[in-house]
Order: sequence, then C-alpha cells, then structure tokens
Amino acid sequence: MGSILEVRNLSKRFGGLTAVSELDFEVREGEILGMIGPNGAGKSTTFNLIAGAYPASSGEVFFKREPILGLPPHQIARRGILRTFQHNRPFQGMSVLDNVLVGAHRLFNRNTRDEETARRVRAQELIEFVGLGDLAQADVGTLSFGQGRLLEIARALAGEPRLILFDEPAAGLAPAELERLAEIIRGIAARGIAVLLIEHDMHFLLPLAHRVVVLNFGAKIADGLPDEIRRNPAVMDAYLGSHAPHP
Amino acid sequence: MLLWVTLALGYNFLFGICGQVSFSHFAFYGIGAYSVVILLFQLHVPLPLAILLGVAICVVVALVVAIPSARLEGFYLALATLALAQLFVVLLNEGGEVTGGTGGIASYRLPAIFGMQLRGPWYTAVIVALLLATYFILRKLDHSWFGRACRAVRDNPEAAAAMGIDVARTKVVAFTLTSALAGIAGMVYAFVDNTVNPPIFGVENAFLLLFMVIVGGSGRHAGAAIGAVLLFLLPFWLAPLVGHHHVLVFGVLMLAAILLQPKGLIGIWDRFSR
Repeated sequence: MGSILEVRNLSKRFGGLTAVSELDFEVREGEILGMIGPNGAGKSTTFNLIAGAYPASSGEVFFKREPILGLPPHQIARRGILRTFQHNRPFQGMSVLDNVLVGAHRLFNRNTRDEETARRVRAQELIEFVGLGDLAQADVGTLSFGQGRLLEIARALAGEPRLILFDEPAAGLAPAELERLAEIIRGIAARGIAVLLIEHDMHFLLPLAHRVVVLNFGAKIADGLPDEIRRNPAVMDAYLGSHAPHP
Repeated sequence: MLLWVTLALGYNFLFGICGQVSFSHFAFYGIGAYSVVILLFQLHVPLPLAILLGVAICVVVALVVAIPSARLEGFYLALATLALAQLFVVLLNEGGEVTGGTGGIASYRLPAIFGMQLRGPWYTAVIVALLLATYFILRKLDHSWFGRACRAVRDNPEAAAAMGIDVARTKVVAFTLTSALAGIAGMVYAFVDNTVNPPIFGVENAFLLLFMVIVGGSGRHAGAAIGAVLLFLLPFWLAPLVGHHHVLVFGVLMLAAILLQPKGLIGIWDRFSR
C-alpha cells in the first residue's frame, strides 16, 4: 500500500529545547498508525507540526506526495487532513448538527439548497455513526465530556478527510467509552480513511493500531507492529520505566 | 426607527454572530449618506451610478480597515474602527465646500425615478423594503455555510481553522459586507430629512448600536430588532422623567444585561416561552 503522509527529517526546537528531532515516519493508506511515548516525548508537537499549528525548524512533510509543511492550518485542512482536539473544542451556542456541518466547510462550493440538504443528511449519518443520533438538535453545551469527544470525531469526519489526526482521543474517557471509541476508529479505517493516532495509553492503543511509532525525548526509538513493540525492551524501559510490568 | 432596526440587524451579524467589535458601523452609514449626496448634487452623477459608487466606496474603506486588522487579534479591529469613526467626523467637519463643514449639506431632493417623486408614505415603503431585504439577506447568510463559519470563527478560531475555514478572510468578508449594508442604509437615510450633518454619524451612535444589540440579545436577529426599537423609543418615554439624562439609564440597562442576562431580552423571552 502507498503512503499518504510522509514525514522526513522533521525537527522542532523551542529555544534551546529540541522537542522533535529528525523524525521520519509514514502513514499508509487506510491504516491506523499509533504514535506513543511518555509525556513530553514530542507527540503533541509532531501532531501540531503536521496540522500546521506550529512552524517546523526543519524537515519535510508530504501529503499525497505534495509538500504541506509551512501551510497555514486551514490550507492543510482543505487538502483533506482533519483533526480532533485533545481538549474538546465544540463551537458553543450551536447545535450538534451545525457543529458537524462546520466540519464539512471545505466541501461547500455550490451555494445551492440541494448542496445544503445533502450535507445535512450526511452530517446526520455521521452523528449516528458515532452514536449521538438522538442529540443532533441538542445544544452542544448539554453534551457530556465523552459525547463531546464523539462530536469532535463526527465533525472531523464531516470534511471527508483522507487522513484524520486524533490527539489523545482516549484522554478523560471511561472504560466503557473507550471500547466504543476503539470500535469507531476501526470503523473509520475500514472506510479507507488513514488514521494517525497520538496516545499515551498503551492499553488502548496497542490492540487498535496496525503499526506503532514510539517516541522518546523527541526521537523515534521504535517503529513496528504492535506485537513487536510489546516485546521491545527499550520501549518498555523508556515508556513505563524499567520496573513496570509488561502489559 | 426602521433604519435603526436595519442597522442593528447588520451590526448584530458583525458583532453577535461573527464576534467582531467594531465602532465604525455608523461611520459607514455616514459614508453611504454623504457619498450619495456628494455624487448626486456636486458631481451630478446619475442616481443608479451614484448608488453603485457609494457602495464601492464603502467596500474599499471597509477592506482598508479590515484586512490589516484581521491578521491581529480582535481588539485591534475595535481600535482601528474607533479611529476610523473619529476620523470620519473630523473629515466631515473640516471638509469645506465638499461636505458642507459643521452644517452639513441640506435642501436637496431625491431625483425622480421613472418620472415619479418618492416621498411621504412612499418613501417609508422604501425604508421598509430595505429593512426586509437586509433581514432576508442576513438570515439567509446566517443559515448557510458562511454563517456557520462566522459563528465558528467567533467561538474558537483555532478549531475553525482546523476545519478548513480561512479565519482572516471570513472576518474581512463579514466586516465588508455588513459595512456595505450600513452604507446602503445611510443612502436611504440621506433622503429621509433631505439633510446630512456630522453629529448624526459620531461615535455616540456607534455605541448606542452596540447597546441595542447587547440589550436585545446578541447573535439573534429578533434580539437586535427588539433592542433597537426599545432603545430608540426609551428616550421619548424617559424625557418627562429624567430629561436628557437617558444615557444614564442606558448605562444601567447595559450593565444589567451584561451581568444578569447575557443573552439579552430575547433570552428572557426564550425562558418564558419554553
């Protein structure tokens, strides 16, 4: 399978601190790539570099073979990379449906009533897909934290992304919600959308990801199948500390 | 009063829906009014062309203010528009022959349209038509992808950008559009009393517009309309009681709205009708 996102030699320095150092990896079409690492390993920085939120110090990022590094966030989104936020960021004072329709912004181009109707139907389907079907008309202020996370996902999917970026989607969710989330993410990959998932919860990520990249101190220390990562002593040391039991 | 409602609807789109604090809405009303009068009676431009040129002037001025401001955080737009509003009044007062100075321009008359002279109730019909057209345009926009983008930009610019929305451009378009609508309302105003003069277009009225939208309920068309009607009529009701001190009452109302009822009067209505 071809790669949809290629990251080459990506580095980011904040003053004297190197947050991301010469990182190389790729996301292939239709796969779930997990990126893990302890807090401060550079996961979120990498994420923000790809999404265009920070400028990189050096390196290259290609999406569908075109360079995207240095583009502003809205241009990156328009090319088909949509993201969720770790801390839910719904648009307040709007319904769930309208929030999801904002996610479809990049697809509006004809300004006709038919287009609006078609997008509404599609948004409703996505709201049902993430399991918020009864809440489409509800004000986003009434959603629980877990429901807010599901809304983030529906909103990102509404833009029909080729690649979706998840920033710690499991953070703050209850165990029952995690199972549902894993099921949704598998469903997204099954639709042929590539997934880049940043997560520090290994128990959530390892059964879900097709491949895993492990970061520590901004550099890649391992890259492979989940089973290989589980057995990799360097990863276990870096990530859990040498005294921690294996999962 | 109908013109106030028209202005409040436009300002509500800019401030309530798009979240941009601007003090130049009344200046654009004035730019529209003065442009059309100067073009018609000093440069002798035909009416349709004068209207088009007046709109074009509003659009150009709006772009000049909005493009640099949109790159910075919201506060700078407030400063830039405040400066524009002040500058505009100074220009009117110092404009000599062109603007008529402090006395403004008076005793002109709307040219006949298709041989008909619009006045009295017929001119009121023009104002009503303008109000309705403004309302329908803004409502249509509000319920489109553009309106959603405006609300998203107001609420969370970073998340809006992550959805592919060009935040700066959305702000500039909303500002320019609502400013042009204010300009058109100003053109209609110019023939209400057949006089234009500087005090009308000062910053005080720009603040009054902000009060109207906040007291009525920002982000809601009905709220803006209610606020405009109420604050327009209030000075007449209050005059026997407090004379010219109605501004004090406005201040109290404004504080009450912000502290007790951020959704404005329309929010109270919602609560009772539920």
